[in-house]
Amino acid sequence: MTRTINISPITRIEGHASIAIQLDDDGNVADAKVHFQSIRGFEKFVEGKPAEELPRIVNRICGICPWHHHLASIKAVDQCFGVTPTLTGNKLRELVQTIAQAEDKLLHFFFLAAADFVIGPDADYAVRNVIGIAKANPDLAKKVVQMRFKAKMMLEKFAGKSIHPVAGVTGGFSKPMAEEERQWMLSDMRELLDFALFTIEFAKTEVFPKYLDTIKTLGVINTGFIGTVDADGALNLFEGRLRLMKSDGTHTDFDVQDYTDYISEKVVPWSYGKFPYAKFWNEGFSLDLDHPKGIYRSNTLARINVADKMATPRAQAEFEEFRDLFGRPAQATLLYHYARLIEEVYACEHAIDILEDPEITSPDVRAKAEPGAGRGVGSVEAPRGTLIHDYSTDENGLITRANMIVGTTHNLGPINMSVDQAARGMIKNGVVDEGILNKIEMAVRAYDP
Amino acid sequence: MCLAIPSKIVKIENTMAVIDVEGVQRQASLLLLEDAAVGDYVIVHAGYAINKLDETAAAESLALLREAFSASEQNP
Repeated sequence: MTRTINISPITRIEGHASIAIQLDDDGNVADAKVHFQSIRGFEKFVEGKPAEELPRIVNRICGICPWHHHLASIKAVDQCFGVTPTLTGNKLRELVQTIAQAEDKLLHFFFLAAADFVIGPDADYAVRNVIGIAKANPDLAKKVVQMRFKAKMMLEKFAGKSIHPVAGVTGGFSKPMAEEERQWMLSDMRELLDFALFTIEFAKTEVFPKYLDTIKTLGVINTGFIGTVDADGALNLFEGRLRLMKSDGTHTDFDVQDYTDYISEKVVPWSYGKFPYAKFWNEGFSLDLDHPKGIYRSNTLARINVADKMATPRAQAEFEEFRDLFGRPAQATLLYHYARLIEEVYACEHAIDILEDPEITSPDVRAKAEPGAGRGVGSVEAPRGTLIHDYSTDENGLITRANMIVGTTHNLGPINMSVDQAARGMIKNGVVDEGILNKIEMAVRAYDP
Repeated sequence: MCLAIPSKIVKIENTMAVIDVEGVQRQASLLLLEDAAVGDYVIVHAGYAINKLDETAAAESLALLREAFSASEQNP
């Protein structure tokens, strides 16, 4: 008899996802799908609103990474109004975005991902969480909470409430940075960098080696990748050109303004979400595990794969070690965690570089902007992937059309493939246990959806 | 899309809170927000309360979300 196994809601993934696995008569996997809840028609909802209000609206809706939505939105509005932000205004935006990245990665690694590894994927869920880590290593757990709080407070003290940011404004930033602020932020950021270096060392020695077999097999699929690189091909989280890489490692770079020539969105009958795919490859769309078509991934592993190098020294050393071990592009899904920690080192180092730039305390933080007609496409690398806001405005600066591609949506297809792969590999003849179901969840959790 | 729905804390036991969104209740860990109290509004991500917001901000967010959801129903 056929049966369906539902995992819902996925315990430590963002609360709006569920997995449905269909078994055939023999108890083997016939089909596996991940369903995400989303707001349909969000783009319609913002039509008619003044464009300069959007950076403050979008982050109230998509509030897990509010800074990234805020800044992608502001970049789009700048372009609609034909204004270029001042040098310092742009640097301040980049600084807060980089700190927000650093905060998010710490949170994800220790609170959402590490429990599976530190406690072990087969352990009871009751202990396989951060409280289990706190019991196993109370000093570490305390330090993680402190560090995450430090990053959050940097954003809050300098730029206002991190959950609903208003510091970015059309044409730049709403306030300059005082020398005193620069000093304490530098000191805090250096402490965060030390912790980032400790974390990656901890993961490489205490965590990953124990699960090499799982890492090499669980949720492994073969796809392309997308991410942002600077003019030298180094990873950039804030600005640059998008790089779309095929699974064979060949790649094409393009400006985000032209994204519709490279990416399209597929509607599938079984999901409300739209599935982005690489239209540029002219091969269509398929989630077939053996012959996927048009499928690329975003988020940490994608960015580490598309980058030629890292712009900061400690991150570069980690990057080289990673590439020597796993090649380019690395396809093992659980390597998202490893890549996340390399990015954490980069984000901390890069924030320090920005703070050490003498221009950062210049009072020239905002260029004058007047509402007007135009089109703007803003993007940043959000923790969960390449985030694109695309707006058009009328002569009064009101939104006439909007399109957004949120980081996780690039990964909707790949997440489905990874779950399918994990389920097919582990569920045989109807035999399923908690350990197997948790490992399937781990395949999803790696993407930090 | 990761929705940021302000949830009101209605009960706290040790580090776990019961949170309420429009009458639907579930549990969230307060490990990341040690100073949270009953009556506070929080944003919950993956079972953890990650940020606190004041009542005005929460009311504004909820109003926007209601507006977005109703637009969503009219434009499937």
